[in-house]
Amino acid sequence: MIGRLGKRLMPAALTTGSLLAFVAFWQVVSLYTNPDFLPSPGRVWDEAVRLFHTPVGGKDILAHVGYSLRRVLTAYLWAILLGLPLGLCMGWNRTCEKIVSPIFELLRPIPPIAWIPIAILWLGVAEGSKVFICFVGSFVILVLNSYTGMRYVDPLLIDAARSFGASRRQQFFNVAVPACLPSIFAGLQNALSMAWMCVLAAELVGAREGVGFIIIQGMDLNRPPMILVGMILIGIVGSLLAASLRWAERALCPWRRELV
Amino acid sequence: METAANYPYAEHRKIKVQVENLTKCYGDLLVLDKINFEIYQGELLCIVGPTGCGKTTFLNCLSQFIPMTEGSILVDGVPASPEIHNIAFVFQEVSAIPWLTVEDNIRFGLRIKRLPEAEIEQRTERMLDIVGLRKYRTYYPQQLSASMEQRVVIARNFAINPDLLLMDEPYGQLDVKLRYYLEDELIRIWKELGSTVAFITHNIEEAIYLAERILILSPKPSTIKEEVIVDLPRPRQYDDPEFVRLREYVTERIKWW
Repeated sequence: MIGRLGKRLMPAALTTGSLLAFVAFWQVVSLYTNPDFLPSPGRVWDEAVRLFHTPVGGKDILAHVGYSLRRVLTAYLWAILLGLPLGLCMGWNRTCEKIVSPIFELLRPIPPIAWIPIAILWLGVAEGSKVFICFVGSFVILVLNSYTGMRYVDPLLIDAARSFGASRRQQFFNVAVPACLPSIFAGLQNALSMAWMCVLAAELVGAREGVGFIIIQGMDLNRPPMILVGMILIGIVGSLLAASLRWAERALCPWRRELV
Repeated sequence: METAANYPYAEHRKIKVQVENLTKCYGDLLVLDKINFEIYQGELLCIVGPTGCGKTTFLNCLSQFIPMTEGSILVDGVPASPEIHNIAFVFQEVSAIPWLTVEDNIRFGLRIKRLPEAEIEQRTERMLDIVGLRKYRTYYPQQLSASMEQRVVIARNFAINPDLLLMDEPYGQLDVKLRYYLEDELIRIWKELGSTVAFITHNIEEAIYLAERILILSPKPSTIKEEVIVDLPRPRQYDDPEFVRLREYVTERIKWW
């Protein structure tokens, strides 16, 4: 009895334990460090509570998270809308691949952050440029993942469909697309994390709201706990986003669920 | 050994597939050299030959996966085409579709052919019974054993009532016990549905166990070297002297070149 219950509780216990150990380690280190370098967990917690009640730059902290999320999701949706079909076409159609991939290969190594100046020049310091930066980051990942997913579709499955007389269209929608769903999902997850990382980079430059703004504000006001609150928020929101996509994948790709 | 051209074997049979002068070159490499033969309606035909003799190329031409260099393949007197004819193909590797459940795998070909929904359901139910997977209809292929997975593929192919079912060493990667089991299964389904089956194998014992007629291919460039009628009662016994004699004869014919 105890053994079985123990087995079930074990993973949860390990997770909590590792988080607690991390905080404890942080606490111990902070005892021996100048609090301006590394504020203790307690001070950061107090700061978080304070920020929940006092607005920063005229908005409370959840509103800041909301601003960042809105930018990320707008960019992400555009990236899905444009990037997925493009990647799938590149993987499916040799002509499309030949036309698009040279340009894409050239643009791919440019990090999203390098786009900041030109984005500001084109779209101004307001929402446009920030959304654009996030878009660039997640777009590239989505294209790459759907493209490689499509390239590695098992030809046997395509042949199986062909032997039934499937048209190119049926081969694409009934076989190729479902076959690359797992790699599309991997791309969706990475792209969302990337967009979330990019929004912070974008918000470090001339933003008046957003999680990145909190960090910059903390730096300007010389409040290390505030910087850390911003960073922790980023971590929490980022992992929640990833978790929600993992959940969506489990729901949409039931054949990938592990056997119980 | 009697050959098909001059004996009662073909007398009451209707020609289903007529292959004339089938030739295939890859560049300068002549793989198939003017192959002529026919497959009769409802026949279980095995094609054997030494490794590398172009057995798979041969099937790929039949299924129109690759273009022939010369010659023609007629099904019911019309040039073979996946759009007109129901040609089904069981590959050497198990090709069950991983994201579809057992029943949806069986429906797969029927849906591609856009059969009416009621017809699809009826045939799916029938095939589930025939291959004995009714209990597992909602399972995904990866939840099944290798032999069950291959049964799913076989069901998927028989479901379309194929004019011609091509099997390319479908049991090559399974262990002996499963192979015996699936061979019997194939014979049972073939008898029950009266399908026309062309079964390629390098395993002579398997060919003699299954076939009504065996085509022996020569090494590259392949031609049909000989036809052997296997007129043994079923279920066949591996240790039946006649079985052993046939096996040795076919082995000899493949070896002798």
